[in-house]
Amino acid sequence: MSNVTKGDVLLEAKGLTRHFVVRGDSGLFAKKRTVRAVDDVNLSLRAGHVLAVVGESGSGKSVLARMLSRITAPTGGSLVLNGQEVDLKAPRDKAYASQVQLVLQDPFAAINPVHRIMHCIERALLLHGTTKGDVLAKAHEVLESVSLTPPQQYLDRFPHELSGGQLQRINIARGLSVNPRILLADEPISMLDVSVRLGVLNLLRELCDNRNLAMMYITHDIASARYIADETVVMYAGQIVERARDASIIDAPVHPYTQLLVNSVPDPENLESRHEATAKVGGSTGFNYEGCRFSPRCPDAMDICHSNQPPVTEVAEGHLSRCWLQATSEQRAAVSITAKPIA
Amino acid sequence: MTEQTNILEVKDFSVNYGYGEASVRAVSDVSFTLGTSRVLGVAGESGSGKSTLVYGLTRLLRAPGVISSGDVILNIPGPDGVRSFDMLAATEEEIRSVRWTNISIVLQSALSALNPLRRIGREFDEVFRTHDKSLSKDDRKARAIELLAMVGLDANRLDRFPHELSGGQRQRVMIAMALALRPELVIMDEPTTALDVVTQREIVSELYELRKQLGFAMIFITHDLSLLVELADEIMVMYAGHIVERAVATELYNAPRHPYTLGLMNSFPPLHGQREVMTGIPGSPPDLKALPTGCTFSPRCPYAMDICREKVPPQLPLDNGTRLVACWLHEPSVGAAVPVELSKKFVSNAGGAQ
Ligand SMILES: Nc1ncnc2c1ncn2[C@@H]1O[C@H](COP(=O)(O)OP(=O)(O)OP(=O)(O)O)[C@@H](O)[C@H]1O
Ligand SMILES: Nc1ncnc2c1ncn2[C@@H]1O[C@H](COP(=O)(O)OP(=O)(O)OP(=O)(O)O)[C@@H](O)[C@H]1O
Ligand code: SF4
Ligand SMILES: [Mg+2]
Ligand SMILES: [Mg+2]
Repeated sequence: MSNVTKGDVLLEAKGLTRHFVVRGDSGLFAKKRTVRAVDDVNLSLRAGHVLAVVGESGSGKSVLARMLSRITAPTGGSLVLNGQEVDLKAPRDKAYASQVQLVLQDPFAAINPVHRIMHCIERALLLHGTTKGDVLAKAHEVLESVSLTPPQQYLDRFPHELSGGQLQRINIARGLSVNPRILLADEPISMLDVSVRLGVLNLLRELCDNRNLAMMYITHDIASARYIADETVVMYAGQIVERARDASIIDAPVHPYTQLLVNSVPDPENLESRHEATAKVGGSTGFNYEGCRFSPRCPDAMDICHSNQPPVTEVAEGHLSRCWLQATSEQRAAVSITAKPIA
Repeated sequence: MTEQTNILEVKDFSVNYGYGEASVRAVSDVSFTLGTSRVLGVAGESGSGKSTLVYGLTRLLRAPGVISSGDVILNIPGPDGVRSFDMLAATEEEIRSVRWTNISIVLQSALSALNPLRRIGREFDEVFRTHDKSLSKDDRKARAIELLAMVGLDANRLDRFPHELSGGQRQRVMIAMALALRPELVIMDEPTTALDVVTQREIVSELYELRKQLGFAMIFITHDLSLLVELADEIMVMYAGHIVERAVATELYNAPRHPYTLGLMNSFPPLHGQREVMTGIPGSPPDLKALPTGCTFSPRCPYAMDICREKVPPQLPLDNGTRLVACWLHEPSVGAAVPVELSKKFVSNAGGAQ
């Protein structure tokens, strides 16, 4: 467990995919259709690094996190934990569960309201092999690590006696109590009061640095991703459409969807251009599974966008985009053989 | 009627929840005026009393909410000059006569505001029928279609039920309904908080255009100060039911005077510039049942002095009276050295307080 160095890949997703078959929208005999919630996602979670996953509602962020924690089974692709391929047919074992911890959005729903905080921390500790005699000391230790001091005061309380920010710290403390190496935080601050959000975000960053945790931070708030992340991926309709290191995805986005996202964020530093910027965005929200999934909404869409899936292109070191605008001439040539000529 | 007319005048307005010993004060002695065609932004975190304030002003407050003091005057322009309408003294029937016609409100949750069993078209029909009996059925439908087009929705949405629309489309329907009878004042309670930023941007741009066209005054509520700076002429910041600062939007943003305003601004990581560690605000949001004596922000305030924990700060006029700040740091007789970050010089040229 101990000798991890910053930057080591701890968990890897290769071509991770989850499709759901659902009944159609209308009518009793509506045809079944497939929701491609997550499609062919590749990513690595590294020790001491925060990977932010940004995307609109329904883009597949939570399904991705649930697959990584093995609560939801993938319909395709594989997982590699500490260099070992995970047997996805076998049920999730305790060792996996304690190494990969998921922290959810709503701390009020995540913690049983009828028991004192001690009960919830104790259960997690015992379940993952802490002996009875060590429980209290260990409980104090994890509460201190999330800055809830003096710990006993919090352990004795009921959930409704804590604020949202405090409860989310408890929720994180519970996740930490089993000594995980990977923390998946699914919108951990979006339900909290705005003035306490940064406190929780700073805590996550600290934990990642001090314990060499590999962290995935899921959010729809791109500014908070810029604040905390070493690398950011943007998801659209189940696919990663752009990825880059540090802040470059916000400072220099290349994919039209990321550009739209960044330009939509309220920005008092740049008041003039705001109201014109989005005037051209179409109202269509449908996805195109033939070509680029963003093409029905894309202000820059070309003919090829509607007919062929865009390839992934590296536009700078570590900066990838899934868009025909950035495709190389070889990538374009490869499709023009099989598809309609590019207009 | 001149440009200077105030559409709304609010004085010493307070709201309690519950009675006697067990009651809490959710809105405390709020006073402000809103000029014709102006936009007032109200910012503050969850529980600060933003919704309670506007529910109270518009007489939508339900038990156990009680208006415990104050005056609310709506100045309604008409052919014979301006009529002062006393919102708090009015009967239910009189209130109905101004609701939608002169003052309308878009609630925080559009889903709960729309009747789930009614098609969108019927909601519009109802609004027109009860307020303008002269319109024929076809006229009413034509007006509804026109309104939907104004917010970028297709006429076929009239046949839909609320659950068949996306969150953004429902908010657009609510906005169209609020504008249906061309009121002079529209109140929006977090109309975009539950939406994606892209949809939020589309709706905010539409509002901006509609206001240019129709010239209604607006009160816009959100916890997102950055969004308010884009939309509002003036901003009011609320904390635990009190207005702690009120100023011209760009001045408030570029040169905050109240420690809470500054803290709120430092709670949102910026989109530009160097990445650096920010702190938000220490401590927890206030509990109305156990408010501290003195300034309600004092337990969390990095600048708190002894007097802050003892006496409630008065509303101090600053910057030639263009702003109000409730903070002891700025009271000369206290003799505090105002920290630089709370005494920046900034005078915007976008006038809100000429
Ligand atoms: N159990 C399920 N059955 C059918 N479809 C599902 C199921 N779970 C998720 N989906 C669909 O998969 C897509 C991705 O959902 P997901 O919850 O991952 O989105 P998200 O990015 O987390 O959104 P949000 O920001 O709203 O949390 C959505 O279209 C959703 O409706
Ligand atoms: N029906 C009620 N009974 C008792 N207290 C209430 C009631 N409704 C609201 N409150 C309290 O009044 C205070 C102000 O609530 P209000 O809904 O006005 O806040 P808000 O600023 O609109 O918050 P948000 O941003 O979450 O919408 C809160 O502390 C809340 O708990
Ligand atoms: S591939 Fe085409 S449609 Fe897709 S985002 Fe790029 S330009 Fe737009
Ligand atoms: Mg989710
Ligand atoms: Mg509210």
